[in-house]
Amino acid sequence: MKPENLLVRPRPTQKCTTGCPVLDRCLGGGIPCRSVTEIVAESGCGKTQLCLQLLLSAQLPPSHGGLSASSLYLHSEFPFPSRRLHQLSRARPFDPRHDHDPLEYIFVHPLHSADHLLDAMPKMESFVENFKSQFPIRLIVIDSIAALFRSEFDNNPLDLKRRSSMFFKISGKLKLLAEKFDLAVVVTNQVVDLVAPNEGINGLRIGNLGCLDSSGRRVCAALGLAWANCVNSRLFLSRDKEIVSTVNGARDECGCELMHCRTRRKLHLLFAPHIPDTSCEFVITREGISGVCI
Amino acid sequence: MEVGRLPISAALKGKLVSAGYTSLSLLSSLSPSHLARDLNISENEALDILKHAPHDGQVDTSSVHHIINGAQTAWDMLHEEELLTRITTSSVDIDNILGGGISCRDVTEIGGVPGIGKTQLGIQLAVNVQLPIHCGGLGGKAIYIDTEGSFMVERVLQIAEACSNDMSATNTVSQDVHAGKVGMQPRDFLENILYFRVCSYTEQIALINYLDKFISEHRDVKIVIIDSITFHFRQDFDMALRTRLLGGMALKLMKLAKKFCLAVVLLNQVTTKYAEGSFQLTLALGDSWSHACTNRIILYWNGNERYAYIDKSPSLRSASAPYAVTAKGIRNSVSNCKRIKLM
Repeated sequence: MKPENLLVRPRPTQKCTTGCPVLDRCLGGGIPCRSVTEIVAESGCGKTQLCLQLLLSAQLPPSHGGLSASSLYLHSEFPFPSRRLHQLSRARPFDPRHDHDPLEYIFVHPLHSADHLLDAMPKMESFVENFKSQFPIRLIVIDSIAALFRSEFDNNPLDLKRRSSMFFKISGKLKLLAEKFDLAVVVTNQVVDLVAPNEGINGLRIGNLGCLDSSGRRVCAALGLAWANCVNSRLFLSRDKEIVSTVNGARDECGCELMHCRTRRKLHLLFAPHIPDTSCEFVITREGISGVCI
Repeated sequence: MEVGRLPISAALKGKLVSAGYTSLSLLSSLSPSHLARDLNISENEALDILKHAPHDGQVDTSSVHHIINGAQTAWDMLHEEELLTRITTSSVDIDNILGGGISCRDVTEIGGVPGIGKTQLGIQLAVNVQLPIHCGGLGGKAIYIDTEGSFMVERVLQIAEACSNDMSATNTVSQDVHAGKVGMQPRDFLENILYFRVCSYTEQIALINYLDKFISEHRDVKIVIIDSITFHFRQDFDMALRTRLLGGMALKLMKLAKKFCLAVVLLNQVTTKYAEGSFQLTLALGDSWSHACTNRIILYWNGNERYAYIDKSPSLRSASAPYAVTAKGIRNSVSNCKRIKLM
């Protein structure tokens, strides 16, 4: 390897479809390869749903926006939602090129700690490299990165320093894998509540939205500023209860008005090098996650 | 004492000093026989001394006030600086506070939070450097060193297209001047960005060492952008080693900027610093690094607007200016007008 070899012709970035044309349009075609995309949301917003759907849509041929690829799913939140994945895979249209079950092209690996993830990296690399199939591995999903870091580290300067140097190590390796094998990397992250709004570092604005609201709370992405430097793009999923209508005059036993509520889910683009500030509403159904045109 | 640095014997040095030759400039226009007489030494020895002294005979005739080879007077430097062109950022407001744009021969550091538009500014500069001089560029090529993987060709193409459209628009206005000259195509802009993808700190160091050779073969490179200088140096580093490596890198980059008269733009991340009982935002890589760059620009959010702030510059006063990241690239902020919502 010589420095000369580092001069490369910039290639157009291939995208992996999310499986929904509305979301794809919002994301400029899907999840980009050779790049780390982060999905930030509180629990129950659909992070894992989106990830599972990506695992399946990566197998689609490029003519359908996929990568014709297998995928690697590393999960630190237990248990692995295999039933939901199965349900989603059955809801997909049958692909005649597949003589196998789509689930056979999804590899799952549990993660127990941040160190475990670092140890698994070289194994992942050799696995991706030596995986000879008509569906090479082109998608790595880590669900979630936050769970690995939220228990082990204390809130003192030394631990925080150790933690952020680990972020950069992990991200450096992930980006190396992404570049070397032209694959898309998706990580999910949790949120933390903002206690004192607009004060000090906690009020620090990262990305297009002035403030992130979900379930009526002000939140921000977990793992802080250091980790925000480690990802290329960041998406934020939010949900809010919305009163659709009141049941005319009916009251329950406590005298409260009965209301029909529905959950409004939204995807916001917080930052990305290639697409402008956008947002899009989406729903989660039995068949999966899909965007809504307004 | 300058005479002390001459590679001659101590006895000769002593004779030089006692005869009153304390500065090398005094030796510059002497003949060997004159010196031999003055010091009471043989002509051969005198010749030897003068061989090591700067040969300024020819310089004197060209009327440039060189005192030592390579040295310049401040007067000459001022003249040179006035001739230096700058690279526009495409935002008139930022250009104004920068005195016309990013300056050549300097290392400029640009930092800010994720999503503020560092990469966008980097890409914009890589495109703008190719513009002809009357459009605010240098008509040169760009080296883009990507350490983070945020360089997206589709975005570069978008910015290049906008740039090429703007250029043909100005060309039609002043058609008589540029008659017959075909505007640059978006494709050309992409061809002139030499893109290096760096995946580890060793690659980064090796590449920066190699740049000198590379640029001497590609003299038309007028800007080197590193996006970001920081990323690989925030993983588990011994701090003393990191400071040394970064210091060495900064020196090499500065040398490149001077030697080839090009602009070096380093993008940096921000981090929090614990000082006086509270956390403050500051650019990454520590205090010693802050000496490495000649100019420092910090990008930050002010309400819903993006601002650029000159944090350090030897020649510009601290000032800030709003800017916007649009589909076309970096542009002036349109806060007073109705903001067009991008969808």
